[in-house]
Amino acid sequence: MVQIIISSAGAGGLAEWVLMELQGEIEARYSTGLAGNLLGDLHYTTEGIPVLIVGHHILYGKIIHLEKPFAVLVKHTSGEQDCDELGCKTGTQYLVTALIKNKILFKTRPKPIITNVPKKV
Amino acid sequence: MLGACNAVGPLGSPAHVSVLRNWNPGRRVVRPSPPLRTPLEQSCNARWEPFPREEEELLRPPVAGAAQVSRGRAEAPSEGGYLRPHLPPHHPGLEADTFIPGSTRPPRLMGTGPRVLGALPAAHPRHSGPTCSREDTAGPWLQHYAPAPGGPATPQSLLTGPAGARSSAHSPPTPRKGGCAGQWAAQRRGGGRGPGGFGELTGGESDREGPSSAASRGTCCLYRLTCRRCCQRSLPAGTADLSPSRGPWPTGCRSRLTFEEAIAGGDAATHCSPGGPSGDHKGSARKRHLADHDSRDRALPPTPRVKRLRLEVVKKLNFRPEQTEEPPPPDSPAGDITPPPSPEVPTELWDKGPLDTGADVSPLQASPAARNPVLRRPPVLEDYVTVTSTGGCRGFLVLRNDPVGTGVQDPFLNVWWRGHGQLDLLGVSFASLKEQVDSERRRRLLEEASQLSDTLRSLRSEEVGEEGRTSGAPEEELADGQGDSQPCLWVDEFAPRCYTELLSDDFTNRCLLKWLKLWDPVVFGRERPARRPRPGPELARAGKEATASSKWKSHEQVLEDMLEAELDPSRRPRQKVALLCGPPGLGKTTLAHVIARQAGYCVVELNASDDRSPEAFRTCIEAATQMESVLGAGGKPNCLVVDEIDGAPMAAINVLLSVLDRKGPQEAESGGPAVPTGGGRRRAEGGLLKRPIICICNDQFVPSLRQLRQQALLLHFPPTLSSRLVQRLQEISLRRGMQADPGALAALCEKTDNDIRACINTLQFLHRRGRRQLSVRDVQTTHVGLKDQRKGLFSVWQEVFQLPRAQRQRWGQNPALPPYTLLLGDGHAGLGPRAAEAPLTTASQRFYHILHVAASAGEREKVVQGLFDNFLRLRLRDSSLGAVCAALDWLALDDLLSRAAHHSQNFQLLRYLPFLPAAFHLLFASSHIPRITFPSSQQEAQNRTSRTQALVQMLVSGLTPATRSRAAPQVLILDALCLLLDILAPKLRPVSTQLYSTREKQQLASLVGIMLAYSLTYRQERMSDGHYVYRLEPNVEEVCRFPELPTRKPLTYQAKQLIAHEIEMEKMRRAEALACAEDSPQAEGAAQAGAGEKGTQPPTAHSHEEQRLERILKKAALEEQPERDFFGRVVIKRAPALNAGDVAPDADATERRIGTAVGRSDVWFRFKEGVSNAVRRNLYIRDLL
Repeated sequence: MVQIIISSAGAGGLAEWVLMELQGEIEARYSTGLAGNLLGDLHYTTEGIPVLIVGHHILYGKIIHLEKPFAVLVKHTSGEQDCDELGCKTGTQYLVTALIKNKILFKTRPKPIITNVPKKV
Repeated sequence: MLGACNAVGPLGSPAHVSVLRNWNPGRRVVRPSPPLRTPLEQSCNARWEPFPREEEELLRPPVAGAAQVSRGRAEAPSEGGYLRPHLPPHHPGLEADTFIPGSTRPPRLMGTGPRVLGALPAAHPRHSGPTCSREDTAGPWLQHYAPAPGGPATPQSLLTGPAGARSSAHSPPTPRKGGCAGQWAAQRRGGGRGPGGFGELTGGESDREGPSSAASRGTCCLYRLTCRRCCQRSLPAGTADLSPSRGPWPTGCRSRLTFEEAIAGGDAATHCSPGGPSGDHKGSARKRHLADHDSRDRALPPTPRVKRLRLEVVKKLNFRPEQTEEPPPPDSPAGDITPPPSPEVPTELWDKGPLDTGADVSPLQASPAARNPVLRRPPVLEDYVTVTSTGGCRGFLVLRNDPVGTGVQDPFLNVWWRGHGQLDLLGVSFASLKEQVDSERRRRLLEEASQLSDTLRSLRSEEVGEEGRTSGAPEEELADGQGDSQPCLWVDEFAPRCYTELLSDDFTNRCLLKWLKLWDPVVFGRERPARRPRPGPELARAGKEATASSKWKSHEQVLEDMLEAELDPSRRPRQKVALLCGPPGLGKTTLAHVIARQAGYCVVELNASDDRSPEAFRTCIEAATQMESVLGAGGKPNCLVVDEIDGAPMAAINVLLSVLDRKGPQEAESGGPAVPTGGGRRRAEGGLLKRPIICICNDQFVPSLRQLRQQALLLHFPPTLSSRLVQRLQEISLRRGMQADPGALAALCEKTDNDIRACINTLQFLHRRGRRQLSVRDVQTTHVGLKDQRKGLFSVWQEVFQLPRAQRQRWGQNPALPPYTLLLGDGHAGLGPRAAEAPLTTASQRFYHILHVAASAGEREKVVQGLFDNFLRLRLRDSSLGAVCAALDWLALDDLLSRAAHHSQNFQLLRYLPFLPAAFHLLFASSHIPRITFPSSQQEAQNRTSRTQALVQMLVSGLTPATRSRAAPQVLILDALCLLLDILAPKLRPVSTQLYSTREKQQLASLVGIMLAYSLTYRQERMSDGHYVYRLEPNVEEVCRFPELPTRKPLTYQAKQLIAHEIEMEKMRRAEALACAEDSPQAEGAAQAGAGEKGTQPPTAHSHEEQRLERILKKAALEEQPERDFFGRVVIKRAPALNAGDVAPDADATERRIGTAVGRSDVWFRFKEGVSNAVRRNLYIRDLL
């Protein structure tokens, strides 16, 4: 059977990430893809409501506590030096790097931000 | 006037005038008032020519009658000639319309028809003989002045030939004389009969007859008298052209005037005042000066007898102012005279009458204007007729109503009256003129007729000549033998003319007649109960018979009940249509015609030769049922006979049904008495079927008749009794001088299946061919009487397989035909001695009979099929099955023949086909009743063949090419499939395949391989009981297994399921392998390429990613094609670029102010509404490992 070895690097020092869920798609201007691009700015209002600004859209969301938290695993393939002790045949192991306990959900329709309003009007 | 004269005679004093009055017919002239009787009798006693009784009765309805009083201006001292006042005023009124043609009700006339006809001859001579001379007196000026003979032409006038004169008698005889004119005017209004005129006439009549007869016939007088008579009266007086001595009544004419005197008197009368001596004439002319004592005193010659003088008389209308009858000023119309328009007020009438006449007493003093209808100026208030005298004076005649309503007179009755008022205005008597005209006309007609017949004869003689030349002897023989015989069919000639001559079944006849009689209430207006006691002896007998036999004749009882049933609300029978059905030649059409005629209908026939499209049919039905022929038929109502209705199109029958279904207004009336809805109601009334319709068909089971049958009185014609038919045939042959013994005739009947028409036609044919004696031999050998009668298939088969009952000798004796006739097949060809020597044997008779039956049976294929299907079920007598073999040979021959005939269009071969049934008959016929089933074997076999072929086709098409190369369909069916089925059923353990041994696995694999090779599989099917079954598909078992054989032990459900599953898997596997085999070269090529580049696999994966990226890039590059203008040139954005360069810093500034995130960001967001499209990606476990 497949055995997948999951280990946590350090018990106390796990980072907590936040999952962000958008209803929609994130598109890149160029065909180079999203990688390396800045998505946008995430702010919080004084009431703690997250506000995301993507392109010329502004999205209001909310923070949801996940019933089942996620763990972020990082795969370490064999051939590395650190898998020996785990004695895995395949030599693949997973390291928990972060936990996700909350997510920010943006599901409302975004509002446009108009930058250059004609001055005459 | 005449009456007056006569009346005066006995009294010895000049009669002044006879005044005409209405009197009640019920009380004849004499009876009304006893005190008056004497004078009346006196006035009546003189001469009365008897009038035919029938006419009187015929024309006078018993109750109705215009009352008239003849008031002889007898010198009866007390009354002054006035009888009128004493006459009872009641007179139910012979309404004028009683004899108006329009209102004449045909049924009544029809009912009295025979009497009318009987009376006519009696009346005719009288009128045409002695009276015609009188007629002319009236005639000339009637004809001259009568604007139109118009209205009062009664049916009688139409019936009696010389109607012209008589009807003209009713036309306004525009009077010469004022008085007469007045009369006429009055008459004209009321339909031509004026009280005054009548009175006078009646007087005249009664004069001529004895008092009693006068009394009794007074009513007749009423009808007979026309104004013409008064006119004659008055005319003589006025114009004095009357000859004093009137031939017929020498005694009656006391005071006669010579013609000159009459003229003088007339002139005097017209000119002078009443005081003058000739004023009497005038009085007579006007008929109103009666009863005046003064006038009574005067010796009165005035009623001048018209003498038959051939004088040219110019009559003048004298309207001189000093005339007594000077037209009154128009503003003083004779309103007071105008009699009450309605005859229902006799009292008034009577009151008026006397007034009228009383006014005449002093015509001038009282109100001359009122009296005088001749005006010089057109009256303002009344209708008038313009009259111009020969002298150019114009007068206007006032039209007045006839109070008595007796204006329309029966011209017939007037016939002999006309004679009395003879007035020869022409040099030649009108009668002679008329006779001349008549004779001329007759002569011309005769000439034409003779011409026509001459031409016809010449034509025919030519034909006959030719024929005679060619055909020779028979024609001549015919010519001398039966020169008197018309070239008409005996069938027509001896067709039944009346009910008792009908040959068809009595019960059927009665039923139809009864049904037709049920229509009487609505058609003729007769009531049923009144009619019931009357029905003839036949019907009474019929009823008795029916009741006697009702116990066991249920159908007839039902029919009787139907006929006895009550009429429906519209007083029509429940069944609006009678449907006669039966084979041809039974006399259905004849029956319908005879009975309809018997019941007093005019038959309108519609048969197959007529256009029977729905529209034409509707038109015809409506014409026949709602109209009535005016000419010819004598006003009989129509009875529509739809012959051969089974050939009519469905739509036409639907039209008939819709006519039957029409709702009459009676429903509406029952709802409310007054239904004033105009158009709809009228239409409904028009639509209600009020005439009987008789439909005739041969086959009552035609689909199109289905609905009609339910609504119709269905009368099925049983075959004619051959005894009756023989009797009738004997009569006919006797009448035609043909000797026929009953045996021969019976044979003929039998041969034609009691078809009357065929029998008679055959007789005539034989007769025509010169036979004077009919023998059995003739009957047998002639084929004339045989028509194509179709028998049902079953009867054909039955006749083939069953010997005819051991019957009495079929045709008299049992002749035997020598075998060669059998071979030749036309024994009848030689009518000569040879045929006589060789009578038919029973077997050959049977042979011929079957041959005929087979030839006339239409569906030959079916006949043969039935024989084939049934002959093996018969009891076979010979154990060697020789008959069966022979029969099979015959069948084979039949197949060969029909095949040859149809393939090569060699249709003369078809004539041999009917011999097959004959052969079967000779081989298999027995006296047992065969149980014959309808042939279905061929149909079944055909269905199976086609199904099997389809299966094999499917199988073959699914074969793998390798298999197919060795399996042609025929081979497959015969050799492969049977064994294949065995191969396909190996023994498989009912355990999981995991547990199979390797051998078993091999077995299974080979089974699956075979099935795939033959493209067979098992398919699950759901049975009707809910079970699931695996079946072989295509189901070749059907092809190669006989259903009667025991089936092999089939595989179990599980085994089949397993096999089916394996087959599916194997198919998939093969398909996958095929796909892999296709893919493999590419993969290898790619692998090689990859190896050539990097040598390892990951790089190839990488290269895949790169490829994808490249593709995406390419797509993007495509999007960035240079912009082109309309003409396809690349637009070079120079200026924008410059502008952009200018603006750019500014824009950048704002961007900076807002932040790069907004507007200029490289990433943007597209919202997806409504759906939560969570990002899903397939993640393979191998990627995790």
